[in-house]
Formats: sequence, C-alpha cells, structure tokens
Amino acid sequence: MGNFFIPSLISFFLLLSKAESESESELIADLFALQSESKSGVIHLDDRAVARFLTSPKTPRPYSLLIFFDAVQLRNKPDLRLRQLSQEFALVASSFIANHNSTNPKLFFCDIEFRESQSSFSLFGVVSLPSIYLVGRTTKSLKDDSERMVQGDFTRFTDSLVDFIESRTKLTVGPIHHPPIISRAQTGIILGFLLIWSPFAAKKMLSGETMLHNPRIWLSGAIFIYFFSVSGTMHTVIRKMPMFLMDREDPERLIFFYRGTGMQLGLEGFAAGFLYTIVGLLLAFVTHLLVYVKDPKAQRVAMLFSIFVSFWAVRQVIFLDNWKTGYAIHGFWPSSWN
Amino acid sequence: MATMPILPNMPALDLIKSFKLKTKQQELLIRVSILCLVYILAFITRLFSVLRYESMIHEFDPYFNYRTTLYLTQNGFYDFWNWFDYESWYPLGRIVGGTLYPGLMVTAALIYRILHFLRFAVHIREVCVLTAPFFASNTTLVAYFFGKEIWDTGAGLVAAILIAICPGYISRSVAGSYDNEGVAIFALLFTFYLFVKAVNTGSLAWSLASAFGYFYMVSAWGGYVFIINLIPLYVLVLLITGRYSMRLYVAYNCMYVLGMLLAMQIRFVGFQHVQSGEHMAAMGVFFLLQVFYFLDWVKHMLSDTKLFQAFLRITVTCAVAVGAIALGLGMLSGYISPWTGRFYSLLDPTYAKDHIPIIASVSEHQPTAWSSFMFDFHILLFLFPAGLYFCFKRLSDATIFIVMYGLTSMYFAGVMVRLILVATPAVCLVSAIAVSATVKNLTVLLRSKNKGVQTGSTKGSSSSKASSKALLDQSQPFQKNGAIALLFGAFYLLSKYATHCTWVTSEAYSSPSIVLAARGAHGSRVIFDDYREAYFWLRQNTPPDAKVMSWWDYGYQITAMGNRTVIVDNNTWNNTHIATVGRAMSSYEDEAIEIMRSLDVDYVLVVFGGVTGYSSDDINKFLWMVRIGGGVFPVIKEPDYLVNGEYRVDKGAAPKMLNCLMYKLCYYRFGEMLTEYGKPPGYDRARGVEIGNKDIKLEHLEEAFTTSNWIVRIYKVKPPNNRW
Repeated sequence: MGNFFIPSLISFFLLLSKAESESESELIADLFALQSESKSGVIHLDDRAVARFLTSPKTPRPYSLLIFFDAVQLRNKPDLRLRQLSQEFALVASSFIANHNSTNPKLFFCDIEFRESQSSFSLFGVVSLPSIYLVGRTTKSLKDDSERMVQGDFTRFTDSLVDFIESRTKLTVGPIHHPPIISRAQTGIILGFLLIWSPFAAKKMLSGETMLHNPRIWLSGAIFIYFFSVSGTMHTVIRKMPMFLMDREDPERLIFFYRGTGMQLGLEGFAAGFLYTIVGLLLAFVTHLLVYVKDPKAQRVAMLFSIFVSFWAVRQVIFLDNWKTGYAIHGFWPSSWN
Repeated sequence: MATMPILPNMPALDLIKSFKLKTKQQELLIRVSILCLVYILAFITRLFSVLRYESMIHEFDPYFNYRTTLYLTQNGFYDFWNWFDYESWYPLGRIVGGTLYPGLMVTAALIYRILHFLRFAVHIREVCVLTAPFFASNTTLVAYFFGKEIWDTGAGLVAAILIAICPGYISRSVAGSYDNEGVAIFALLFTFYLFVKAVNTGSLAWSLASAFGYFYMVSAWGGYVFIINLIPLYVLVLLITGRYSMRLYVAYNCMYVLGMLLAMQIRFVGFQHVQSGEHMAAMGVFFLLQVFYFLDWVKHMLSDTKLFQAFLRITVTCAVAVGAIALGLGMLSGYISPWTGRFYSLLDPTYAKDHIPIIASVSEHQPTAWSSFMFDFHILLFLFPAGLYFCFKRLSDATIFIVMYGLTSMYFAGVMVRLILVATPAVCLVSAIAVSATVKNLTVLLRSKNKGVQTGSTKGSSSSKASSKALLDQSQPFQKNGAIALLFGAFYLLSKYATHCTWVTSEAYSSPSIVLAARGAHGSRVIFDDYREAYFWLRQNTPPDAKVMSWWDYGYQITAMGNRTVIVDNNTWNNTHIATVGRAMSSYEDEAIEIMRSLDVDYVLVVFGGVTGYSSDDINKFLWMVRIGGGVFPVIKEPDYLVNGEYRVDKGAAPKMLNCLMYKLCYYRFGEMLTEYGKPPGYDRARGVEIGNKDIKLEHLEEAFTTSNWIVRIYKVKPPNNRW
C-alpha cells in the first residue's frame, strides 16, 4: 500500500507542476485567442475565466490584465457614462494592440459584466461603477493588491487611461487610432452621389428653381425648428438626457415622464412638442386647406375632428404640465371644476 | 367694411361717403383707445411686486445698475464715464465706464432729469424701479406698429395685447427689475421694426432711424450681437431666394455702416465691429451686397448674356476667394478675434458645459425644458405654428423677417432659459398673425349676407366659391353657427391666456428675491427680510474699509446696500479671482485663512437656507464653487466632495465636504438647533437631512452676525495672534 502510495504521490505532483507550466503558455495562448476573437480586442471575462486566469495561476503571472467593470442595467444612467467609457476603453485597447503587434507585451484588456459575474465583483471589492482595475503580474490578492484607477480621472477618460497604463506598467501605449467619422466607403459613396447630382443642381440653380426657391421646403424647415426648440431637444442634447429611464425596482417598466421642473427626458419632450405643433398645424389646415374641399360633409367631419384633436392636445399638455411642475396652469375651465 | 347697397341718386352717394369716413373715424377711435388701454395694462400688470412688497430694486444685477445710476445722477456723465470703482474686485478694482452698457443708466438718469425739470421731486430709486414697466408699455406700441407693418392693423393690435401680458417678457420687466433687458427688448424690437420699415420702403430716413435704434440697443445690452447677426442672415436669405432689391440695398448699407460707426462710440464695444469674429457675418454680407449691386450694374451695361455669364463666374470666384483670404489672414494675425465663449455656446450648446463652468453655473443659462415654454407662452405656443403657416402663405420681405426672427430666437430659447425673453416678441407677433387672420376670416364669414360665402383666407375662397357655390349656400346656417362657435372658442382661449398671464405674474415673477416670501402654517404670508438686515448690519457695524468675501452672487448687493468692498461680484470678468474665492470656500480652514489673509479679507458672508428651507443657498451652490475653483487650481477636485457621485451633507458625506470652510461656516452652531418638530437637532430643512458634522469649531474666524432667520451669516476673520 505504502509502496504504491509514494510514487503515485510523486507522479501526481509532477503531473501537477507540469500541468501548471504547460498551462502558463496555454493560458497566454488562450488569452491571445480570446483577444483576436473579439472585435475591439477586449476580452470578455466571466467568473470561470477570472478563476482560470487570475485566481488559480501562481504569482508572478506571465501577463497582466486591465479590467473594466461594466453593468448592463446601469448603462442607461447618464451620469455614469458607462457606454461611452466602455467604447473609449475598447478604443484604447485596439490602439494598444495595433501599436504592439510584433512585440506583444502581455497586457490584456478585459471587461466583466455585473449580472453574470457577481462573485468576481465581490472578489475585487468593487462597490461603485465606473471602476477599472489593473491586475499586475505580482498581484496576489485581487482586492488589496490590484491597482484601481482613481475616480477623478474619468473626466478625460482616454488620456487618463493612457496615463494610468503608462505609469503603472511602464509600457507605452502609443498613438490612439480614432476611427474616422466617415469611413472610406461612405466617403466614396457621398462623393459619387455629389458628382452625379452636381450637373442637375447647377442646371436648376441657373433656372432659379432650386429647393431654396420653394417655400414649402422653408415651411417644413421652419416647423421642424419650432418642434425642435419647444420639445426641449437642446436640453436633451446638452444635459445628455436619455430618451427614457428604466425603473430601478422593476427593470421591465420604462419611465417616460420625469416629474419636476428643470428636468426632462427625451421622449417626454418630443411628446409635448408634438402636441404643441399639432394644434397650430390643424388651425392652419382648417383655415387654408379645408376650404378647398368641395364636399361639405367632409368639411364638417374634418372640422369636428380637428376641433376634437386640438381640444384633446391642449388638455393633455395642461394636464402634463400641472403634473410635472406642480403649478396649476389654467386649462379650459376654472380649476375648481376639476 | 360692410357692403352697402348701391343707390342710384346723388345725395345717397354723399351719405355713403360721409358714412364711410365715419366708420374710419370710429375705427381709429377704437384703435387708439385700445392702444391706450394696452399701454396702461402693460404698465400696471407689472406693479404686483410694488404692491405686495415695496418699491425696491430686485435680484442681483439691478443693484449694480442702481448704484451706477446713483453715481451718474450725483456726479455727472463724465465722472461716470471715467469711474474707477475700487470697492469691487478688491484688490484689482474695476473700470466701470469701460465695462458696462450705459444705455439703461443714461435712460433712467434722463427720465429723472426730465421729471425734475417738470418739478416732480421723485427719488432716483422710484425712477429705476419703474423704468422697466415704462419701457414695456412702449414695447407694446412698437409691437403694434410692427404687426401693422408685417400684416395689418388687426394683427398689430393683437400683438400689442399679447406682448403686454406675455409672461416671457414680464419675467424680466416687472417693477424693480432694473436690468438691461428691460430697455433692451424695447430697443431690439424697435430696431427690427425700423429695419423692416426701411426694407419695405427703401427710404434712407427709415434706415437712418434703424441705425440709431441699433445704437441705442448696443448701448443697452450685449444682446445686440443677435441683431448684428440676424439682419445679415435675413439679407442673405433674401439674396438666396432671389428677392434682392434696391430697397434692401439701401436699407442694409445705411443701417450697417452708420450703425457700426455709432456702435463704436460705446467704449465697452469699441472696435469689435471690425475686429471680432461675431461681427464678421455682417461685414461679409455687406461686401456681398456690393458684389450683387456691381453685378446688377454690369448686367445692365452688358447686353450679351454669354459675356455676362463668364464675367459673373470670374467675379464671384474672385470675391469669395478674396473674402476667404482676408478672413484667414485676419484670424491668423490675431486682428480678428475668435468667437467668445458665450457666443460659441449658443452655436455648439455643449461647449459651455465642458469648458466654461462660470457660464454653465448660472441658472438662467440652463437649457430649457418643454414645461418652461408652456409656462412662459401658454397658448401662444399652439398658435405659433399656425402663424408660421399664415406667414408662408403670404410671403413678403416683412413676413420672411418675422419668420426668421421667430425661428432663430426660438432655437436660442431652447438653448438658454433666459433667451425666452428674446423670443417673446417674435412669438407674440407670429401668434398675433394667426389670431388676427383667423378671427378676421370668421367675422367675414359671419358678416357676409346671402351673397357668396367667404370661407378661409381671401385667396382660397375665390377659387372654391366659383366651383361650389350651390353647395355652400346649403351649408350656410351651419357654417355661421360654426363660425360663431369658433369665435367664441377663440375669445375664451384668449381670456384664459390673460388669466394665466396674470396668475403667473403674480405668483412667479413678482418676487424681488431679496425679500423672500413663504406661506406660513396657516396660509398666511411670511416675509423673510434677512438679506437687507445683513447688509444694513454691514453698513452700520463694520469699518468703512472692511473687505467682505462672499460668493460672487452677492457682490453687487453688498456694495450697493452694505457699501463695503467686495472681492468678487456678479460681473464675472476675472475667472481666476472667482476661482480663488471658490478655492478658499472649499479648502480646510487653515488653508483658507492663508488665501483670505492674502486678499485682506475682514469678513466672510455666507447664505444659508437650512433653517428656513430656502433652497438657493450657498450649500446648494457649493459644487459650482468647487468646479470653478478646480478649473483654475487643480488641488481642488470635485470627486473629493462627492460620495459615489452623489452630493451629500449628512453623516455619509465625504470627509472633505464635512470639514471645508463653506460647510463649517454654514452649519456652525446649527447642530444645537431644533428646526422642525419631531426631527433631531441639526435637521437641515433645505436638504431634508440631519447634518453630518454637528460639532464645528472655528479657529481663525468668529461669528459676527447671523440674521433672524439664519439666512445670512457673517463671520469676522480674527487677526493673527501676536505671540505663540
């Protein structure tokens, strides 16, 4: 029994160490494979991958990982800017990979999603987002030794991420390859279109019947600007408000209307702007177009319809406004009748 | 006019003639009396604040204007023009004459002089308080004439009524709001009216008048940049749509050249018209007009069209190239300055938020949510698209102008809340067109007897009348009833508009914000007069050369009412200086004392709403102090004051927050105080939390004065110990 036990133990240890040394190169190869699989070069980790690449191998590991902590359900929160940050993270990752194509410094960019890898989040002790951790070669305890990017650096994210990498890993990231706003194919198409279009445009311009001479175009532009302004689109653009919110308690439910003055959601503004616009347009329609309709019955129906719609729209706006601001704006009848 | 039966005999004809004259006279009488009533209405609806509180100056900026007006009336124009104010921006001082728009002060001083000449011994403060309502009344007259110019007298009258009570305009022109906008909106509309008149008539006299109107506007408000960009844009659109005319040429050239020369006389504006990028559009359009005129002339001289085509191509290319090169050289050599931040933030609205916190921090520079439009325009908002449509149906040079004015200002109103003010006249005019045209059509329908029925616009009816006369005759009773119902509805809606406007004026726009009002537990009105209490305390109890440090919002008030020197004030011309104050407020006390000693600060004033629940106090403004301070001094970092991106003052607040100077000064001794029944001591009513640091010790400062409701707290900087 004893005789048998000792060699088997030795062979087991041999096997183990061999497996370990084998897996070191294997792990790197796997990481490279994962990296080349993903489009931007960011490796998506889950709990199993964290265990495989970070917790089980002995330190020093032959590679270091830069991990971006992400949460899908928080992506719609505008103040966290998770979506934008993850895009910039991917941009830095792809630039880094492109700049170090031949040298391969064994720094890998990874991301982890909260829903599917909650235990990894607790492993790192991540309590707030956005969070970026650098797990170096010598890092033993993920919670205490890995280096966290300081919260304040998220304002000019791309630059500070590059600084962070360069200061902690002593590697140079190199130039960031920003994607062009219009891709090459698109430029070609646009140029071709312009070339084909230009003779027609020139001919029309000379004869004085361009779109610029057509009041209808101007009118629709004018109505659009009106709609754009009164629906508070600038508010949405400047404050980077989302179109709608997700309810925190119940992620299935969407919130379209925000209660409180001085704040609004995108779709809410469009709804109000639409209601504003429709009444005015109906009035114009009734006074200028309906008179051309020959059938009096149709006239009456259209008239009644527009009166009804206008009534409904004004009422709706007043109701929404009262609900939103708390001010009791006067509607059709004295407020005591409500 | 009513259709009269045509009688064959002569006396009857005479009778008709005299009767016609009479209707005209009647109409004139009605029109004049309506205008008079509107004039009075516009004035009295703005007096809520005087009736409810007292005759006093409101808010922040007006106090500076008041102080300078006082100086002007006491020391004369030249002293005012050369005034170096050493009581603000200590130790830098401020060249007042060269850094303000003097139009408002000169106007008020002029009214004051005239009244005194007429032996009305009024105080200058009363003149200042009532200047804005007076000019609002004048604006209604201008709106009438403008409406008459672009549409007809009916539209003019409706526009006058609408603008008299429109909340968007009232918000900046109630009695006591003695600010540049009060006269500037009048000047703006007046300039536009004169220019449109000049374009319509092509007369030099009108364009000369519009140049002077522009001069007045430049002297009154920085918003003149809107005029100098809108008018060239309008001219450009006319050129593009093939509406170039000699009238336009005369109007624009005269207005531009003279207006520019006149505007250069204002020291604050100086040579900007030829140097700054914001004014280059006007100059470009000016040269473009010359090219147009030249081409017209050459076309007239050359009979050969082919030759002209070639000539046209060469000239246009040359002109564009020369213009581009000149602009490029000007920019490169630094002769033409690039756009300023404020202007840039209008075109690219996200710019201010990222780059200029001092602009982004002001509440009136926030982007507008849809509910604000509803609040300020009410039914005008629904009528505006209809008015646009009417304008497009009857395109003329004048309607194109009002459409462009309406749309550009609407866009700007969407970018910044305060620019709703600029959009208001345009919205009123366009809506007035909608109202007036609709009502006119309906009344025409009602008054037409059994002859051909007129529906809709006069243009549309002529074609439909012939084709469907028989059908229309049948539907007449119904149509008449429908018209009556619609008229009734229109008047009902307009009366609701009036109710809304009055209510908004009384509830929202008539509070002086220097005296705060709240509803007590029994529905009674409680008045907090803490600001003035504090300022008078400063005036009575501190040495005359004491320097007071506060956040810049209160600078003007302290100099005007407290008569003490301040470090920074509402004229935010020196960002570094403001950032220094922001840094002092957000540092620990021993770091702050160094900064305060370097600025010779004797007293520190903070505004605190924790006792009364007043929410626009310094704690709520504090993040902006951090941001502005951090913009210049990187040692101040915003995340140090936040917990997970959240701004808190309770136990969970960031440690730096709990120990910074602003927190200490606001909450000093507050931890012992019971503010609300059933809540622990130190319960902050403005934020609704129990504060996190109740044991505050001050080392280098001592409490000097706290007003009765704790809204203003003043601390004295202790002199350094003489031994240690």
